[in-house]
Amino acid sequence: MKIKLNGQEREAQKGESILELCRRENVTIPTFCYHQAFGGQGACRMCMVEVIEKGRKESRLVAACTYPLNSPVEIITESPRIQRMRRTLVMLLARRADRHPLLKEMAESYDAPHLGAIETKPADCILCGLCIHACEEMGRSAIWSMFRGIDKRIATPYDEAADDCMGCAACARVCPTQAIKVEEAGSERKIWNKTFELIACQRCGKRYATREEIEYLQERSGYQQEHLCESCRKKTLAINMKNYLQ
Amino acid sequence: MEAKVYKDDRQTVLVCCGTGCTANGGREVFRAFQKRLENHPEMEVLPVIKATGCNGWCEKGPLVRLMPRDITYCSVAEKDVDEIVDKTLLEGVLIKRLLYRDPVSKEHLTSHHLTDFYRKQHKIALRNIGEIDPGQINDYIEREGYQALKKALQDMDGQAVIDAVKTAGLRGRGGGGFPTGSKWQSCRDAKGEPKYIICNGDEGDPGAFMDRSIMEGDPHTVIEGMILGAYAVGATHGYIYVRDEYDLAVQYLGQAVKDARQQGYLGSNIMGSELSFDIELVRGGGAFVCGEETALMASIEGRTGEPRDKYVYPTEKGLWGKPTIINNVETWANVPVIILHGAEAFAAIGTEKSKGTKVFSLVGKVVNTGLVEVPMGTTLREIIYEIGGGVLKKRRFKAVQTGGPSGGCIPASLLDLPIDFDSLTEAGSMMGSGGLIVMDDHTCMVEVARYYVNFLAGESCGKCTPCREGIRAMLEILTDICNGKGKLEDLQLLEDISATMQEASLCALGRTAPNPVLSTLRYFRDEYIEHIENRFCPAGICRELTTFYIDPEKCTGCTLCMKSCAVNAITGEKKQVHVIDESSCIRCGECYRTCNFDAIKLARRDRHEN
Repeated sequence: MKIKLNGQEREAQKGESILELCRRENVTIPTFCYHQAFGGQGACRMCMVEVIEKGRKESRLVAACTYPLNSPVEIITESPRIQRMRRTLVMLLARRADRHPLLKEMAESYDAPHLGAIETKPADCILCGLCIHACEEMGRSAIWSMFRGIDKRIATPYDEAADDCMGCAACARVCPTQAIKVEEAGSERKIWNKTFELIACQRCGKRYATREEIEYLQERSGYQQEHLCESCRKKTLAINMKNYLQ
Repeated sequence: MEAKVYKDDRQTVLVCCGTGCTANGGREVFRAFQKRLENHPEMEVLPVIKATGCNGWCEKGPLVRLMPRDITYCSVAEKDVDEIVDKTLLEGVLIKRLLYRDPVSKEHLTSHHLTDFYRKQHKIALRNIGEIDPGQINDYIEREGYQALKKALQDMDGQAVIDAVKTAGLRGRGGGGFPTGSKWQSCRDAKGEPKYIICNGDEGDPGAFMDRSIMEGDPHTVIEGMILGAYAVGATHGYIYVRDEYDLAVQYLGQAVKDARQQGYLGSNIMGSELSFDIELVRGGGAFVCGEETALMASIEGRTGEPRDKYVYPTEKGLWGKPTIINNVETWANVPVIILHGAEAFAAIGTEKSKGTKVFSLVGKVVNTGLVEVPMGTTLREIIYEIGGGVLKKRRFKAVQTGGPSGGCIPASLLDLPIDFDSLTEAGSMMGSGGLIVMDDHTCMVEVARYYVNFLAGESCGKCTPCREGIRAMLEILTDICNGKGKLEDLQLLEDISATMQEASLCALGRTAPNPVLSTLRYFRDEYIEHIENRFCPAGICRELTTFYIDPEKCTGCTLCMKSCAVNAITGEKKQVHVIDESSCIRCGECYRTCNFDAIKLARRDRHEN
């Protein structure tokens, strides 16, 4: 399907989002809440672009991450209108994490006025929702958003140590502002008000994952393995491959 | 005054047991009639007593109507029941003190139909309410109930039903005003099975109770409308999403679905036809945002009530990814009338682009508060002054808020605006679901804007940045202005944030959330500037900015203000000038609103103190 992207004709797959097309075509669109593993959420609204749909003269703003390309449209990813909107969005969002480099840089590049920081819980959380998706994808859903409106925040149920949390820290890894704190000391990991024991790699001895995570993964995959950290697992795989090929 | 007695006529006593009348003792009145008329020795034919839905005239409730004589008694108490039975039911004698007295002609009117409040109304969606017992399916059937369905099943195919809805020009009553027929067409044409029908009964605007009264007063019309919709698009499952706070509505709808199923209007092979359709009730948890259709569907699916982008309409991918039509309660209530009495008759009412009638809940500083249904194109002046009886205490009209938190405030200069979907949007407000809140000159428009933004601060779902953070910033700015900490450049900032919210928000809640701010900025900008530059609230509402004092020239010493003061800050003897003690005054303004002699004056707080 032929699409006009910033004045140039491009080939798009039916049903893919504008953002997917733009990423492939190396057209930069700023996002906070997008991760290719989860698809578009349409939450941060930074990725909004102008589209001119068939039969219409005027463009409208749509979220690039959720707008599916089902018919030939014209897409404009930069314009004074988009610039103005992103500037306001950055101004509003930067308050949640005003010392974080990501937001600071973004605010500078859009020349967004400083509105004064607000306190968030956890600190620096911009409510992109990626952590919720990561946890859900892991099959746990130990964290979710609580409350509505301006009181919305991410938490475990009742802010207590959650039974469903296995301490895998997938949430922390996808967090763009490092708002989810993972404290590791010796054989312990603390996250979301819960302390976990870290298991040592059977080859190198490095503490690499929580017992709950390892057990969960073994149960889900139905596959009993040696306890190996990521680099030892890769090494083992390489050796096995080599032996197999010989 | 006497009315003729018909001893052998079956009389009917209709006791209004809508939410307002129930709160005022309507149920007790109903039970008193039941008790009093049980085996009444002098009554040859015992009257039928019915508890009806809301008559709309909540101001005058509990209402008791006596048929077939068509007598309406207002503000009836339990203790009046014996007299009504003995005098009116038995002897046909009217009880004057219970009749409505027209404030202009000073005449006592025997029936509510003769009052200005009702005379100017045109009832379609509310046609049965007050006339029937909502718990009795036969009451509905007696008033042409399920006749539209019969007609459709016998004489029309699904497409013909859609064509009728299109010709009628019906637009969604929930707020957006989207053409209902087009919506249905796109669902009928969409691929995917099963198809779903949803009734949106998640009415949440402050001061709005239109849908509530329909669900409580005439649940079967909603059900019949939905069955017709199902027939039109080929749906098999339906959901009524109703707020759990609407206790009576949940109760009556539940009963109605059960009764309809039992009588063969729901279930397999409806009325012996090929059509199979059933309805399930879903109780919402009371989140305002769940009135947004994609959030509502997420809620039915058991997920968090958050909206999603609607680049693909629910008519194609709705509930559980299947084609779905979702319409508001009032929209469904109009459908049986369109099918039964013809699209042309419906389209003859209203304006060029908005057909039919609209139900409004008329509240605020207006004499006759209640529920009114008027043809589209009726002016605000007609509704507020002719039906509503004007502003309370004859104060100056300042604005009317339409459309709830998504709507705006319309000033006196636009009172002659014929209201329909498009005119209200042009005026910077919107139809919304039909809330009309009348405001007098004791209303601070900055505070009104702050109130709505504050409402939304708790009711936005909080998913997208512009809505959540935009509302937060607007609330901070408006609170500052109300507290005398506003800056002139804040107004520009409010407008910038509003523009981004309108363009970038995920759903209609966020896109329309700035309306209360923008409309007050547009029509009452002076008031904002007065707050910012002069640190003064001309309505005497913002406590940080105002103080009250008594004008000795005007005070008559009536003691009314003294009695209204919650903190005993006013002292004075009867018939002597009263004084407000500023150190204990909490500046609630109750005395200012109570005084009948304009003797309580406003002053700038800092000026007065210095």
